[in-house]
Amino acid sequence: MENFPLLSLIAFLPAVGAVGIMFAPKASSNLPRQIALGSALVSFALSLVMLAAFDRDATFQFTERVEWLPDLGISYFLGVDGIAVLLIVLTTLLSLISIVWSWDTVKDRQREYYIAMLLLETGMIGVFMALDLFIFYIFWELMLIPMALLIGVWGSSNRVYAAIKFFLYTLFGSLLMLVGIVATYQAYYNQTGERTLDILRLQEGVALGAYGSTFQFWVFAAFFIAFAVKVPMFPFHTWLPDAHVEAPTAASVILAAVMLKMGGYGLLRFNLPLFPEGSADWTPVIVTLSIIGIIYGALVALVQPDMKKLVAYSSVSHMGFVTLGLFIGNLQGMDGAMLVMLAHGFNTGGLFLCIGVIYERAHTRNISAFGGIASRMPKWAAYFMIFMFASIGLPGLSGFVGEFLVALGTWDYNPWAALITFSVVIFAAWYMMWMFQRVVFGRASGEAPDVGDTQLLPSERDELAALGGGHNEGAEHGTYDTGGHGGLQPRPVSGGDHGRVDHDEETGGYPTHEGQIDSSKWADLTLKESLTLFPLAALTIIFGIYPKPLLAIVEPSFQAILEGAQRVVGN
Amino acid sequence: MSLELIVPDFGLVWPQFVVFLTAIVLSLADAFLPKHLHYRWLTAISLVGYSLGLLLLFGQNGEDRSTFYGLFRADGLTIFLTLVILAAAILTVFISASYIEHLEGRMPIGEFYTLLAFAVLGALLTASAGDLVMLFVGIELSSLATYILTAFAKRRVTALEGALKYFLLGIFASAILLYGMAWVYGSSGTTDLDEIAVQIQGVIAGQDNLDASLLLGLLLVIVGLGFKMAAVPFHFWTPDAYDGAPTPVTGFMSVVPKAAAFAAAVRILIQGLGPLRDDWVQVIAILALVTMVFGNIVAVSQRNVKRMLAYSSIAHTGYMLAGLAAYRAQEGFGTGDGDANQGVSSVLYYLLAYTFMNIGAFAIVVWIQHRGRGMELEDFNGLASVHPLPAAAMTVFMISLMGIPPTIGFYGKYYVIVALIDTDLLWLALAIVLMSAVSAFFYLRVVATMYFSEGQASRTQVQTPLLNVGIAAMVIAVFALGLFSTPIIDLADTWNGALTLAAQTTP
Repeated sequence: MENFPLLSLIAFLPAVGAVGIMFAPKASSNLPRQIALGSALVSFALSLVMLAAFDRDATFQFTERVEWLPDLGISYFLGVDGIAVLLIVLTTLLSLISIVWSWDTVKDRQREYYIAMLLLETGMIGVFMALDLFIFYIFWELMLIPMALLIGVWGSSNRVYAAIKFFLYTLFGSLLMLVGIVATYQAYYNQTGERTLDILRLQEGVALGAYGSTFQFWVFAAFFIAFAVKVPMFPFHTWLPDAHVEAPTAASVILAAVMLKMGGYGLLRFNLPLFPEGSADWTPVIVTLSIIGIIYGALVALVQPDMKKLVAYSSVSHMGFVTLGLFIGNLQGMDGAMLVMLAHGFNTGGLFLCIGVIYERAHTRNISAFGGIASRMPKWAAYFMIFMFASIGLPGLSGFVGEFLVALGTWDYNPWAALITFSVVIFAAWYMMWMFQRVVFGRASGEAPDVGDTQLLPSERDELAALGGGHNEGAEHGTYDTGGHGGLQPRPVSGGDHGRVDHDEETGGYPTHEGQIDSSKWADLTLKESLTLFPLAALTIIFGIYPKPLLAIVEPSFQAILEGAQRVVGN
Repeated sequence: MSLELIVPDFGLVWPQFVVFLTAIVLSLADAFLPKHLHYRWLTAISLVGYSLGLLLLFGQNGEDRSTFYGLFRADGLTIFLTLVILAAAILTVFISASYIEHLEGRMPIGEFYTLLAFAVLGALLTASAGDLVMLFVGIELSSLATYILTAFAKRRVTALEGALKYFLLGIFASAILLYGMAWVYGSSGTTDLDEIAVQIQGVIAGQDNLDASLLLGLLLVIVGLGFKMAAVPFHFWTPDAYDGAPTPVTGFMSVVPKAAAFAAAVRILIQGLGPLRDDWVQVIAILALVTMVFGNIVAVSQRNVKRMLAYSSIAHTGYMLAGLAAYRAQEGFGTGDGDANQGVSSVLYYLLAYTFMNIGAFAIVVWIQHRGRGMELEDFNGLASVHPLPAAAMTVFMISLMGIPPTIGFYGKYYVIVALIDTDLLWLALAIVLMSAVSAFFYLRVVATMYFSEGQASRTQVQTPLLNVGIAAMVIAVFALGLFSTPIIDLADTWNGALTLAAQTTP
């Protein structure tokens, strides 16, 4: 069992599935998605096995190593520590959920879609496992093309612009990282005479003094830019709103829930351990940018008319917590950052899925077009509420613990910074709950105003009067379906083609009454949609109440990183 | 000097000799075979000839030897470059057979293959040259054949214009190169490259500043070679020549003459003028920077895919020049790979990678031209929905040209960057990286057009088996050669042994 290549299996099973789809006979329309589902499922199961078999310490486990290009010091080296384990399970879970989601929502060019999803999954999992800088870079770049294709082919109206922007931004950052990688390789070689790109060996170089102060300053920056684009940190975040909005739902989920974590992971795996002095030098800048990002993301989210863009900016805000937590140099901060990462994965993934549910029905994401969905789809509203509150950071749900720990750690670093950070929670509540109220509560179109409502607008009073007057004084509550009152018949809509691909205008839904969507014909959550939402909601609640198992897995690694940093920086 | 006749070691020249024989057989067959057999037989003869040359190459070991009075060198550089050039030749035959025969007014295929063979032969001779004269002969042979090949689509005005520009600038370049070689000969008293290195060491050992004649010779040689390899600012013939030539010829032109020019550059600058390293490294580095910046930035504005690929060729020349600039002379040469100089190896590796990905990109253009489409970006609209496999192949070549792993283009760039940082040319490494990001824009534009736009069906339905095989082979090579880089890198490294001859004969 020692040499069983578990990690390679987890990473490459989706790629094998992709190859399988490529060779599947063109006629069968079920086979691609079945293969995709199968690969994702097995990968997920194996990742759970890996989680169960993981020892809670700071070592890298399940390592696999094959010499590849010895002249350049490159070997195929995989291994996981606590941080990687959790992120890999997150990746496989969310990929599985995305593929289940895409089951009936992607209709044309299915084969290419699932091939892209599976290749993307391989790239993502590989990034978390790679312990050789070259392999890391390969997996990092591997994700670019499938994601760009997913956004550009199956996305919304402005998808080509978003796809190209995403691609060029990320590529630019990665290329700078490449120079950093080679520079690190060279510095280690100059110090020890050994050519290697093995991360563990390069880390030993820190103690050997292979990396001078100036060197660390610049190479940290090179790596940092690549990860800052991915996180995304202000001011490198401008690709995110476009990419998230234009991507199809499943791709948005993966982008938000997994790909953003890679920036944080990269900072954790490379910038902190390899360049402790550089980290110390850059910390003030990073803390400042993080706090700006937190506030900026929240403020801009407040004014968004598009639901998905709102959630995208809230992601910018949340990821500010992550980078803040990582660089304030104490254990609470790092624990908090990790929990924020995981929680954000569940919550934002769930939020995008919920938005996807109503987008499938309405074909618009404009907040003002919605209203009163709770009365039509109570189950959906319940899920949406869970994810919404978790995103705000309500105690008892997963978002709270992480944010609290980060804020706590920031207090040790600088009380003023902590004050600002705490205050942003209010903004988060503001934009989220306001959006929630406008979309979920209120009056649905085609619905009569509530007779028992004591604060009717004059226009609403007129409507009620026109309907069949005389019901007004408190006797009964108005019914919520349209059948009873003669006048307010909903205009027939052809909505509900659940299978349509999203190639339409952003606001071009089926507006009926005052630009509102008619939601009366909408079914509540289908089985598939419940299947995708339930696990995330359950995880959010469970880890909101009891996050200790997660922390137990990652804390040894964090302590090792902190000790390494403190030893060098001289505490 | 003794007058003994030294019998040349013919065993060393078998690959080149086979190519020469192929050229002869092709011209004879063109004259004597009945017309209707030409296409099949001549293509077969070409392929057999080049493949045989490749096979004979594997029979040679890496020992450094010279023959023909030092005119011919059989060392690691020869072997590697012969491999690259013959591979390029085979791929060119694959992609050009059907094009020359059927498209653009039925060009004479016998003459095409013969000229191709001579162009290949010239390049091979350049790669294996041990002497300035041989270098010039090889370059001239290759260039003359290529000038004519450029004009092959003679009914198209752009073809004639491009060919004329290439020809005129090319002969100027050859004259400048020859003049530079004359000055070098004057300063050193010999045309044998190893001898030149020895003599020059003596010359510079004895004085505080360098002889102006030597520097002039160096400069003129760099200018002459710069024309041949399409470096900026000697590139002005490139866009028109590449645009005017038939597309498969463009693919050939972007690789083989460039490989020959780089072979000449390595031989002259490193083997011959190695002691002047400090003088020419800065020049080459600046040339590299200007070339890659210009090539990438102008390519962004191109709407014609063929022209875009022409400017991208210029950009890749820049990357290769950067690898060349990373040369560092080794004192007291050792045998371990620990101190191997990676500048030249990276150039060689990049040439191999470049062969596959560039000819591949042109092959796809040939493919769509066969189906009645043109070469503008609009002709690629929606290709992915109409012809998914060629679109996927083009995507592979585009991402390889961009330098994205796991394709071979990435390994090439990576190797060059490693070599540059090894010799503290960090600014050039950063330039490569930034320009790669810029290049992503126009490469990605092709991919985006293929996948994201609406397209229409092709006008012509035609079978192109040989072309398809070639494209498939190149796609596989782009992925596989990256994965199995080690033997290639080892082969590229064997060239470092060539320096020992010069170093050991120092008086």
